Amino acid sequence: MTEFPVLTPALPEIFMALSAITLLMLGVFRGDGDTRLISYLTVGVEVVAAVLVLTGSGVREVTFSNLFVMDSFGAFMKVLVLMGSALSVLVSINYIEREQMKRIEFPVLMLLATLGMMMMVSANDLISLYVGLELQSLALYVLAAFRRDHAKSSEAGLKYFVLGALSSGMLLYGASLVYGFAGTTNFSVLADLFAGHGQQAGHTSIGLIAGLTFVAAGLAFKISAVPFHMWTPDVYEGAPTPVTAFFAVAPKVAAIALFVRLLIEPFGSMVDQWRQIIYFTALASMVLGSFAAIGQTNIKRLMAYSSIGHIGFALVGLAAGTELGVRGVMFYMAIYIFMNIGTFGIILCMRQNGRMVEEITDLAGLSKTHPMLALAMLIFMFSMAGIPPAAGFFAKLFVFQAAIQAHLYSLAILGVLASVVGAFYYLRIIKVMYFDEPVEPLDRNISGEMTLVIAGTSLFTLLFFFFPSPLLNGAAAAAASLFAG
Amino acid sequence: MLSAILGIFAWAVIAPIVARRWPRHAGWVLAIPPAFLTVWFASFVPGIAAGEAVREVTPWIPGLGVNLSFYLDGLSVTFALMICGIGALIVVYSGGYLRGDAMLPRFFLFILAFMGSMLGVVLADNVIALIVFWELTSVTSFLLIGYLHDSPQSRRSALQALLVTSLGGLIMMAGLILLGIVGGGFELSELADRGGFLREHPYYTAILFLILAGAFTKSAQFPFHFWLPNAMDAPTPVSAYLHSATMVKAGIYLMARLAPTLGGTEAWTLTLVTVGSITAVLGAVLAVRQTDLKRILAYTTITALGQLTMLIGIGGTYALETFTVYLLAHACYKGALFMGVGAVDHETGTRQVGELGGLLRLMPVTAAAIGLAALSNAGLPPFLGFIGKEFMYSSTLGLAEDGGMPALGWVVTAAMVVSNALMMVTAGLVFIKPFLGARTETPKAAHEAPIGLWLGPIVLAAAGLGLGVFHGELERLLVAPVAASLAGRPMEVHIYLWGGLTPPLWLSVATVALGIVLYLGWPRVKAGFDGVAAALRYDSDRGWDGFLKGLVKLAAAQTRVIQSGYLRHYVMFTITFTTVAIAATMVAFDALTAPSLMELDAPYTAWALALIVLTATAAAVLATSRLVAILSLGVVGVVIALIFLLYGAPDVAITQFMVETLVVIIVALVLARLPRLTAFARPNRRSALRDAVISIAFGAVVTALMLSVIDLPIPLDLSDFFASRSLTEGFGRNVVNVILVDFRAVDTLGEVLVVTTAGLGAFSLLKARPKRARRESPEDADATSSQQDGKPSVIEQNGDRP
Repeated sequence: MTEFPVLTPALPEIFMALSAITLLMLGVFRGDGDTRLISYLTVGVEVVAAVLVLTGSGVREVTFSNLFVMDSFGAFMKVLVLMGSALSVLVSINYIEREQMKRIEFPVLMLLATLGMMMMVSANDLISLYVGLELQSLALYVLAAFRRDHAKSSEAGLKYFVLGALSSGMLLYGASLVYGFAGTTNFSVLADLFAGHGQQAGHTSIGLIAGLTFVAAGLAFKISAVPFHMWTPDVYEGAPTPVTAFFAVAPKVAAIALFVRLLIEPFGSMVDQWRQIIYFTALASMVLGSFAAIGQTNIKRLMAYSSIGHIGFALVGLAAGTELGVRGVMFYMAIYIFMNIGTFGIILCMRQNGRMVEEITDLAGLSKTHPMLALAMLIFMFSMAGIPPAAGFFAKLFVFQAAIQAHLYSLAILGVLASVVGAFYYLRIIKVMYFDEPVEPLDRNISGEMTLVIAGTSLFTLLFFFFPSPLLNGAAAAAASLFAG
Repeated sequence: MLSAILGIFAWAVIAPIVARRWPRHAGWVLAIPPAFLTVWFASFVPGIAAGEAVREVTPWIPGLGVNLSFYLDGLSVTFALMICGIGALIVVYSGGYLRGDAMLPRFFLFILAFMGSMLGVVLADNVIALIVFWELTSVTSFLLIGYLHDSPQSRRSALQALLVTSLGGLIMMAGLILLGIVGGGFELSELADRGGFLREHPYYTAILFLILAGAFTKSAQFPFHFWLPNAMDAPTPVSAYLHSATMVKAGIYLMARLAPTLGGTEAWTLTLVTVGSITAVLGAVLAVRQTDLKRILAYTTITALGQLTMLIGIGGTYALETFTVYLLAHACYKGALFMGVGAVDHETGTRQVGELGGLLRLMPVTAAAIGLAALSNAGLPPFLGFIGKEFMYSSTLGLAEDGGMPALGWVVTAAMVVSNALMMVTAGLVFIKPFLGARTETPKAAHEAPIGLWLGPIVLAAAGLGLGVFHGELERLLVAPVAASLAGRPMEVHIYLWGGLTPPLWLSVATVALGIVLYLGWPRVKAGFDGVAAALRYDSDRGWDGFLKGLVKLAAAQTRVIQSGYLRHYVMFTITFTTVAIAATMVAFDALTAPSLMELDAPYTAWALALIVLTATAAAVLATSRLVAILSLGVVGVVIALIFLLYGAPDVAITQFMVETLVVIIVALVLARLPRLTAFARPNRRSALRDAVISIAFGAVVTALMLSVIDLPIPLDLSDFFASRSLTEGFGRNVVNVILVDFRAVDTLGEVLVVTTAGLGAFSLLKARPKRARRESPEDADATSSQQDGKPSVIEQNGDRP
């Protein structure tokens, strides 16, 4: 009889799982009328989970037969995931009431997806990786298609599901190849094994490389990196806006975390082999994200391309494959969450006579009708374009710095050129807001939650450069934990 | 110095309050801190002239070595004096110029914030801090240019200026980071000492051109010069401050600052001298073609910026002296001219050369200011502009005679003569025509401007004269320290008004003569240039529009090709890419092996099974009904289970049987409720062929992969493990049973649970389906459209939840 596992490292996840079950029961008994209550409780659960994560021991611990790992890298990423998720739930509350999608399943599905992401961040085995990924993905498929009576939403859900299944298939195929040639699925064992391989004059079997390629392809789909990005614009446009906001932040952070852990921990000594893959994806994502966004007229589609581009920039840090690079990635994702949630908050405020509008031209003259909203959007757009002193500049700065230090000069320079092109469409939004004449002003009433979220995120983005050290030190410590082992 | 910058920013935040409280005198009150800072910076000058640079460091992001460090030497103190001094005058001037404007409080906020950012640019010693302040100037200037956003022209200009300068800024960022990492430090003052190493570095060229891209866009150098005249749509105080005195000189500042680090190479000299000269001549030619006074000044500013760039490029004692003198001269006279022209516009209601005349009597003070500034602009003695021109000729002649580039030197000298002569023409246009010409009717009855409007111009114009006369002090206090900053070592300099009958003097005389001739023949000169322009049909402005259009087109093309919206295309693309990636990897690792099928060691049962799989797959592909397709796939699944069995994994095989059976049953049940597979779902010949090619390629690549890895040793064999321990540890002889219920008991339990749950779920779905279908399906289409109109959907409200 094996001994009972030590559960403390997984305490936040266990708490969330139990809470999700409880909330679902509560919802079923209370009915859809109490969706608001369930939403608040969901936010509460996520806050408590974040506190549990933060009060963890901070040292590396494994549990569930080494399938689950908790370290400061995981803690950092989990807090980001929880933050992104909690903010998404907050901005969704009024939306789902207005748009007749008030179902108790909505916040609960968000919570379950978040739980899946937490498991992904802590995965220490290809199997737990897959289980976490699927828990997340299945919840997300449903969320994308949550407006069943809306053709675009259903289409979005279906596309996401079919392509997601395809990518999961690839990931599993890759995982089986890795298992076949390494004899284990555990990250720690794999790391030891490859560290030995590395000394044997870099002889690595083609089976492993192919397996790694398939796994990377599956994960690239989840972070919507080029060339597995095709679902993103359609799903972003079709899904209900708060779901899009959620898609844009939490799953990205979790999948990036997983990607980083997988490539740095078990496959760390094979950096020369996987760097080319990441190099290509990063470059292709940055370039495509920048160029394709220019032609968009729908702001949600634009954000889709923007997120593709941002993932490309974050991957630049991963391509470096160094501690500095990982720190850059984490830092980038942290900033990215704030900018994105804030921007989506503003998109959720885009209503004319109670009806949602999504065209960029609908923002015309925002500076006259909603000066504060326009100012917040200005900050986010400057930040996304990477123009100082907004936070986004530092995010880009650190990944490029890491890339240059890893001698990836061409990637850094091409990345900057891509960001130059990308700046074009962000700045165009500012021009529309500040200089174009309003056709029909947006509605004035903005809920308290929304004001809180937009004001908080925009202040963070703007004032970040005064106090960059806490976040940076956190990211540095977390990155170090990944390289310690 | 940090407190000075933060102080200006804080003052900017307070400014709107002050402006609302004392709307009539806001300009005067708000100008106090900049004026005070001017004096404060001036107090450093004697110390710096004695060779003591001031450095101040505040930790910012210590983990990365990013500090808020500031450095005050000759170069930065000169710029700081210009920014604060002219800034104070501009603030006073805007108080008068924009009096009564509802947006005035906001205007003060922006212009003071800009002043703070600009101070940051010239004082920053840390590269990252420099980039931050640099982009802040772009942002604040964008808000200032767009201040009058009623006209579409103004909006377009604001966006164009922002795009060009911030794009340049981002490129520059790459260059500066590269510089910092290659040079091993982010402090500019330290990098200056590593110039020798950096100039030899293989990345030198990349660093140089990336940084120059930022400097050239900011300082409106050819071919990026087009944004500056357009930006003149801004109110006059903005044009005077940003687009002549300060912001456009940020690029010049950066080049000057990096001169000791990156300068002196052939690439540096050639690029800067060529680009600078082209810009200078182009600006002068375009200036003469204008009839709007403000646009004339805009283009002459481009000329001046080009000349400054050229001077930095030449380097050496003369050029560096000239640079400083010319920098100051230009700041004085151009600021005065802009503000003066603004006052004329304000009082008469027009800026067209043809509509103005005889204003000398009506606006004597403004006339005096513009007159003095125009003389300096024309480069006549004893103004500072004259000294600048004399020394410019000395520099270009120096380049021609002993600079190692004789041909370039002579061409540049000729270019300078032409551009300076054209500058004289513009000075005439700005002063002689409006003030001395015949009296004309203007839209508003002209009278002298209030003191707020003429104070700035007259002070700056007088400064131009005073500095020219008292050039000895200027030389000691500013020219020598700036030249030292640029050269990276102390410099012996000497400036003078009268140097004897030297070649530069003769060139000056020639310039003046040419200028007078051109001025007298101005209508014809303008017509001639217009004709040339029409013949060339070149216009950077239109080129820029074309560039933007091209970008949009590219984006649209991308959407057409990759983002078609069809799921099948996405799947196709994904699979194609994976195929190519795997194939490329295999080629790269030289792993393509092609064992002949006969050599494969497989029992005949395996061959039979393989044949069944192939047949079933073909049947699935060719099937015309869904049922046949799913059954064929079921056959594939079952055969795979048999293969598992054949190779000793009975537990996996049993699971596979179970799942496969259930899937076929459930899917078949679901399919029964779907409409028939109709003709439209059949692909046409061409796409069928394309799909076949892609599928076969994918299959082939995976097969090749399998064949190439099949020989590799697999490090474990579970069969033996189970076979040997089945009896000893599991107490059973039937290995399969022992595996299922003992070694993998929990797995089995889980599998059973999952399969049962899936079956139950499918069952309940199927049971619920008919009711829903009856009620919902006819209305589905309507529901979608009504949703888009914003009306609540009926279906959603009385949904089918229990």
